[in-house]
Amino acid sequence: MRRVGILVAAVLFLGACGGAGGTGGTTNGAPKTGGTLKVAQETEINSLDPNTSGLVVEREIYYNMYDSLLGIDAKLNFVPELATRWTYTDDRTLVLTLRKDVKFQDGTDFNADAVKFNLERYMTSTDPAAARKSDLASVQSVEVQDPATAVLHLKRPDATLLAALVDRAGMILSPTAIKQLGANLAQTPTGAGSGPFEFVEWKRDDHLTLKRNANYWRKDRAGHALPYLDQLVYRPITDLNATLASLKTSDVDMARVVAGKDVDAVKADPNLVYRNTPSLGYGGFYLNRSAPPFNDPAKAKAVALAVDRAQILKNVLFNVGVVSYGPITAASWAFDPAEKIYDKPDPEKAKATATGFSFTLKTANTQDQIQIGQLIQAQLAKAGITVNLLPEDFGKLTLETRVQHQFQASLAGWSGRIDPDGNMYAFFHTGGSFNDGLYSNPQVDQLLEQGRATTDQAKRKPLYQEAQRIIVGDAAYVFTTDPATPQITSRKVQGFTLIPDGINRLAEVWKS
Amino acid sequence: MLEYIVRRLGLMVPTAFLVTVGVFLLIHLTPGDPATVILAESYTPEAAAQIHKDLGLDRPLPQQYALYLGRLLHGDLGRSVRNKLPVTQAIGERFPATLELGIAALLWSLLIAIPMGTLAALRRGRVLDVVASGLTVAGISVPNFVVGIMLILFFGLVLRVLPVGGFTALTESVPDNLSRLVMPAIALGTFGAASNMRFTRSSMIEVLNQDYIRTARAKGAGWWRVVNRHALKNALIPVVTIVGLQVGGILEGALVTETVFSWPGVGKLAVESIFAKDFPVVQGIVLMAALSFMLANLLVDLVYAWLDPRISYS
Repeated sequence: MRRVGILVAAVLFLGACGGAGGTGGTTNGAPKTGGTLKVAQETEINSLDPNTSGLVVEREIYYNMYDSLLGIDAKLNFVPELATRWTYTDDRTLVLTLRKDVKFQDGTDFNADAVKFNLERYMTSTDPAAARKSDLASVQSVEVQDPATAVLHLKRPDATLLAALVDRAGMILSPTAIKQLGANLAQTPTGAGSGPFEFVEWKRDDHLTLKRNANYWRKDRAGHALPYLDQLVYRPITDLNATLASLKTSDVDMARVVAGKDVDAVKADPNLVYRNTPSLGYGGFYLNRSAPPFNDPAKAKAVALAVDRAQILKNVLFNVGVVSYGPITAASWAFDPAEKIYDKPDPEKAKATATGFSFTLKTANTQDQIQIGQLIQAQLAKAGITVNLLPEDFGKLTLETRVQHQFQASLAGWSGRIDPDGNMYAFFHTGGSFNDGLYSNPQVDQLLEQGRATTDQAKRKPLYQEAQRIIVGDAAYVFTTDPATPQITSRKVQGFTLIPDGINRLAEVWKS
Repeated sequence: MLEYIVRRLGLMVPTAFLVTVGVFLLIHLTPGDPATVILAESYTPEAAAQIHKDLGLDRPLPQQYALYLGRLLHGDLGRSVRNKLPVTQAIGERFPATLELGIAALLWSLLIAIPMGTLAALRRGRVLDVVASGLTVAGISVPNFVVGIMLILFFGLVLRVLPVGGFTALTESVPDNLSRLVMPAIALGTFGAASNMRFTRSSMIEVLNQDYIRTARAKGAGWWRVVNRHALKNALIPVVTIVGLQVGGILEGALVTETVFSWPGVGKLAVESIFAKDFPVVQGIVLMAALSFMLANLLVDLVYAWLDPRISYS
């Protein structure tokens, strides 16, 4: 899955465009039932088990097959899904009131026992690829109070837990199916979900088919059964040119990524609709604060001052996305539009801060990443800073950056999380698991810890905004550009709502 | 003859052994770590260490190789790092698609090459020969992915007569299968068509200048009979060598062609596995490619004997 990296990079840097296109659903007349929607995916999936999932393309399928405890809307507000209410009775007790009318596709009942079974499976899995443990690290135990009430007892206050329950850590599958399928759950999860579509078949590298769940619990506003579509067919198309060709010839109806250079052509195509919304992720580069030259804070600041973010956006990314001002993007409730530290490049001020040094910038060896590196090289030269570019294999780059911290600067973006904590804590808290630059600031640590322990969103917002001001000001990471979450569909696709997490929920989508 | 075949098959064992050593070393010496790829954004040093342990990557290289070879002798190629499926299953699932594409590409190359090469030889120096030679140079020089993209542009996007990619199983729909097969088969087979045409032409010219052809003509044999029965069969011997090499090399071209056309075969699997550092799958595919190369060579030698009775194996 170096592809994951390329994908993340592609989504981050070639993602989509600010400007035209809305996020709202498009609707022409009354929804029509039936039909097959063909969706292109950027890579093949590995697993259909949320417990071992690490790919965006997998989440895309899960959200249409499995239900989560909580949902989110286009503004990232939590909305009811399997849980109708969620209440903190104190800062370590989360009470979930569950729906009583939900059945899994295998005919068994959804209830608090299923919630307990699933969350415990995620928390105690011994599979080396198990990826949900950290999402639920704050959960001490799950208690079944009655069939419609599950209580999560926490080890410590955790304001990020609700966001985790929207994603894979909150997906509840049929315990009966999990037990019966065993290891096959990851390959053929027949009947395991309660979502709008159910699993039919997966021909690896070719297609994955889901069909309508006739007993799906959710109805549309007029009271009609959802979903509208009969069938979803996902096709992995790894070549972006092939994706575009397939869209143009109606071989697929929907895709998430096209090459940045093709965005204008897609927008001009009368048969295609290009939408985008600010994404949760950001792009830029780490500076290693534990070694020269960036153990000198002035040198880090000089780099941040000299970078021309708008030029990167325009020249390499075809204006797809926006200039980045920090880890909290425009999609987040914690976003602060007034914070624009390092807005315009200022090579003179950079020179006055620190100049005459050199460093090596490592990048993935993909064209866009190398181009961004070259631009940064030229921009910093104006401030008397010499950049040596070193493109590397993505696996090697990750190893050297994340594990060994053997780098001076490393270009690597982040796909983003719903809660601001997911974009900051692991990256900028002392000793954080993604703190590749080994940045450490006690003030930031304290703010991020407070943010985690506070459940009131209004009180959390200023904490994260203050932390962001310090992080950006310190040049803990040089933020360059935020991608946008794009979606390209055929004009026939109706009722589609684009959500900033980039995952397409297709229950209410229909084809005209 | 049988003894010869057995001896040749026996000789394949040490060759295959050397291939396993080469592949094993190559893939383990390339930079990068499967754990970074498996864990992606959920990477932690502890989880990576666990994966290294599970995959046996924490052991010394010779020990890893010995374990690999031991399992291989029991027919166990290991399991995919990506989705934990047995490598034999991963390859087996994709093999039919690649086999179909390979056969179609080979047919395309021969259907073009033999008649065109023969005609070019018979019309040496005339317009047809010049045109054929020009096409040959173009066919050899243009990489198969460029041919593929051009085909997609023209037949897929401009004329819209053929689907731009994807695959439908023969068992599901024969017309849909064939319509999706046409462009990748042409893209994959064009290089072979060009080089085979070149060999057919030069070999045919050589044969047509032989004394026995003149004798046959002098004895009053018809022109068509001379070309078809006397000349072509003998002229095809060097072509068979080249075709044999192409059969072994189909997988190489399939790497790119299958990716361009989203054709779910072994070539696409190889590309994705390389990107994913899925080393058991890459090892399995390279081993399979090496074996098919060796088998193709053996077949070529056997076909020689059938084409030219002067060659005999004992």
